[in-house]
Amino acid sequence: MGFLEPLQIFFMNIAGILCNPVTLLILFGSVVMGIIFGATPGLTATLGVALLTTLTYGMNASTAMVALMGIYVGGVYGGSYTSILVNIPGTAASAATALDGYPLACKGQAGRALGLTTTASAIGTFIGMIFVVLLSPVISALALEFTSFEFFLLALFGIVISGTLTSQDLVYKGWIAGFIGLFLATIGRDSLQFFPRYTFGMTELDGGLDLVPVLIGAFGIPQIIQTIRDNFKIEETKKFKRILPDFKTIGHNVPTIIRSSLIGVGIGAVPGIGEDIAGWVSYGTAKKTSKHPEEFGKGSVEAVISTETANNSCIGGAMIPLLNLGIPGSPPAAMLLGALMLHGIQPGPMLNFDNPTFILEITAILLLASVAMWVCGILLAKQFVKVLRVPTSLFMPIIAVLCIIGSYALGTRVFNLYLMLPIGIIAYFLTEMKYPIAPLIIGVILGDMCDQNLRRALMVSQGSFTPIFTRPVSLVLFLVIVVMVLSQIPFIRNFQVKMKNRTLKLLRR
Amino acid sequence: MEEKKLRQYDFITSIFLLCFGVWELAQAFKMPMKDSYGGVQSVWYVSPALLPLFVGGGILLLGTILLINSIKTGGAADLINALKKGWNFKVSTPVSRILTVVLGLFTLIYLFIPRIDFYLSLALFLFYVCAAFYPDNENFRVKITIRYLAGSLVFLLLFISGLGRVLQDLLKYNLDILTLAFIIYLNVSARHVGRMMAIDHRKFRTVTIISLVVPLILCPLFRYFLLVPLPYEGGIIKLMNLAYYALR
Repeated sequence: MGFLEPLQIFFMNIAGILCNPVTLLILFGSVVMGIIFGATPGLTATLGVALLTTLTYGMNASTAMVALMGIYVGGVYGGSYTSILVNIPGTAASAATALDGYPLACKGQAGRALGLTTTASAIGTFIGMIFVVLLSPVISALALEFTSFEFFLLALFGIVISGTLTSQDLVYKGWIAGFIGLFLATIGRDSLQFFPRYTFGMTELDGGLDLVPVLIGAFGIPQIIQTIRDNFKIEETKKFKRILPDFKTIGHNVPTIIRSSLIGVGIGAVPGIGEDIAGWVSYGTAKKTSKHPEEFGKGSVEAVISTETANNSCIGGAMIPLLNLGIPGSPPAAMLLGALMLHGIQPGPMLNFDNPTFILEITAILLLASVAMWVCGILLAKQFVKVLRVPTSLFMPIIAVLCIIGSYALGTRVFNLYLMLPIGIIAYFLTEMKYPIAPLIIGVILGDMCDQNLRRALMVSQGSFTPIFTRPVSLVLFLVIVVMVLSQIPFIRNFQVKMKNRTLKLLRR
Repeated sequence: MEEKKLRQYDFITSIFLLCFGVWELAQAFKMPMKDSYGGVQSVWYVSPALLPLFVGGGILLLGTILLINSIKTGGAADLINALKKGWNFKVSTPVSRILTVVLGLFTLIYLFIPRIDFYLSLALFLFYVCAAFYPDNENFRVKITIRYLAGSLVFLLLFISGLGRVLQDLLKYNLDILTLAFIIYLNVSARHVGRMMAIDHRKFRTVTIISLVVPLILCPLFRYFLLVPLPYEGGIIKLMNLAYYALR
C-alpha cells in the first residue's frame, strides 16, 4: 500500500459512515448511551461495551464497531459529568477530574469546566487515533517476527504488568488475580491434544468458558451489588447555564494537551492498564510541570484538561496492542476483543493480511466518535444531567436484567448464566479484598495464547528453554518480567533503595 | 475495607488459595504427561498439564507469600483472637441489602429462567428488586424479601417434588399462571405494607410500570429483531409470537 491509498481508504470510510443515516444514527446513539453510562456512578464504559456487544450481534462487523467504539469513547468522557457537578466520579477514569472540576463548579464555572473537558476529551481521542495509524504498521511488522516464545512471554508480561500496576493493596494480589484468570482459561478441552481440563465431566465446559459471560459477570455483577449496597443517591447537582467550548483556554494549554495525550497513549498501550491510571499519571505530571502547582486541587483548568485529554487518548493507546497483538490495552478494550471475535475478526499480527483496511476503519470510526462526542457533549449536557436524577434503585435492576440477557444471548446457553453469577460474586469479594479485576480478565483472555504458544515453542525447541535467552525480544521480555517480579520482593527493594542512596551520595561528593 | 480487617481476610484467602493450588496441582498431575492420549504419545513439554502446573505452582507460591504477610502483619493473630472471643454474627444493613439483590439474581437465574416464561421471570425479578429498594425503607425491604423468599420456596418445592411437571401436564401454562399470581400477590402485598408504613403509593406505580414495560421491550427486541430464542418461551412469549406473526 502506498501513501495515498491508506488516506483514500480512511476518507472513504468516513464518507461511508456519514452518507449512511442508519450508521450515523447508531454512532450518535451509542455515543449518547456511552455518555449516560459514563456519567452514571456504578456504570462504566466497560459495562456499556459489554452490554452493547449483545445488541450488535445481528449487525455487520463495521456497523458493530461504530456502535462499540461510540459507546467506549462516550463512556470514558461521560464520567466527567458527575466528577464536575457532584464531586463523585462517574467512572474511575474521571476520578482525577473531580479534584479540580468540582472546585471549578463551586466557583460557578461548571459550564466552562464541562466545555473544557468535552473539548479536551475530543482532542485526546483524536490524538490517540493518530497514534493508532502511526504505530500500528510498526508494531504489526515487529509482531510478525515473533515466535511462540515471544508470544508466550508477551502474554505473561501482559498479566504481570497489569497485576503490578492495577493493584491497590499488595502487588502480588494483582498477580494472584492474573493466575486465577489463567486458571479459568485452562477450563475446557485443550486445543492441542483435546484433553478435558477441569471440566468435571460436564459437556458444557468442554468448549471452555465463554468470554462474554465471564466479562459481564466480573465487571457487571460487582458493580450492581456495590451500588445497591451503598444505596447511592445523587442529591443535588451544580447548576450551569450552557456549555462553552472555550477554545482560548484550550489554545493556552497546548503543551499540556500534547503531554497528556502522550501519557494517555503510552499507558493505554500497556496491557490491562485502563483510563483511570492514565488520568492520575497525567494529573501528577501536569502538577509537577505546571507554573502554578498551588492552584491544583482548587479548580485548576490545566488539571481538568490534563486528566480528560489523557483518559480519552488512552482509548487509541489501548487499541494499538489490541489490534496488532491481540492483547487488550484496557478493560473496555478486553470487551472489544470479545466483540471482535464474535464478529469473526481475529486481532493480532495477521489482521493486516486478513483484513487490510480494518485498522483504518477503526481510526475513521474513532475520529467520527470524537466529533460525535463533542457535538453531543456541547448540545445535550443538560439532558444528560437529567438522567442522573433517575434513582439507582430503579436502573440497577434493569442493568442486572441486561447483564443476564447479554450473557445468555451470545451463546444462547442458560449455562452461561449459571457461570456468570458465581463469577460475579467471586469478583465482588475479590474487589472488596482489594484484588484488581483487570488482571483476572487479562488472564482469561491471554490464557489460551499462553498455553498454546508455550507448548508450541517447547515442541519446536524439543523441550529446551534456551531460545528465550538467544532471541533478543524474548530476552528483553523475560528480563522485564523478572525485574518486575523481583523488584517487589522486600529484600531486593531495600537493596535497590540502599544502592540508589549510595549512588546519590557518591555523585554529591 | 480497613487495613486491619484486610489482613485478617488475607489470612483466610491465603488458606483458600493454598487449598486451591494443591487441588489444581493434584488435578494437573492426573493429566497425561508421558503417556499416550487419543493415540498421541505425549511428552512433558506438550502435555496439557503444562500451564495448569505453572498456574497451580504460582497460586501456591503467592498464597504462601500472602499467608506469611498476614501472619507478619498480625492479621492471623487478630482473626484468631476475634474467633476466641466468640463469633458475633450480626447482619448489617449493607450486607442485608447485598443478600436481597443476590437472592433476586439467584432465584431468577437458577429457579425461574430455566422453567418459567422469560417475560414473567424478568417481570417478577424487576418488581421484587425495584420494590425492595426504591421506597428506601429498610423495614419494608425486609418484609417484601420475606414474602418473595416464601413464594420462591413454594416454587422450589414444586420443582423438586415434581409437582410442577404434573401441573404442566394438566395445563401447559399452569406454572406461568402461578408466577403471574405470585407477581400480583407481591404487588398487592407491597402496596398494603407500603400503606401501613406511609410509603408514597406512586412509587409502587413506577415499580409496576418498570417491571412490566422493560421486559416488554427486551423480549421482542431479542426474540424478533436479534432472532435470539429466549431461554423458556411460555404463555406470554407465545402470545407475543401470535401477535407478531399476525401483524407481520
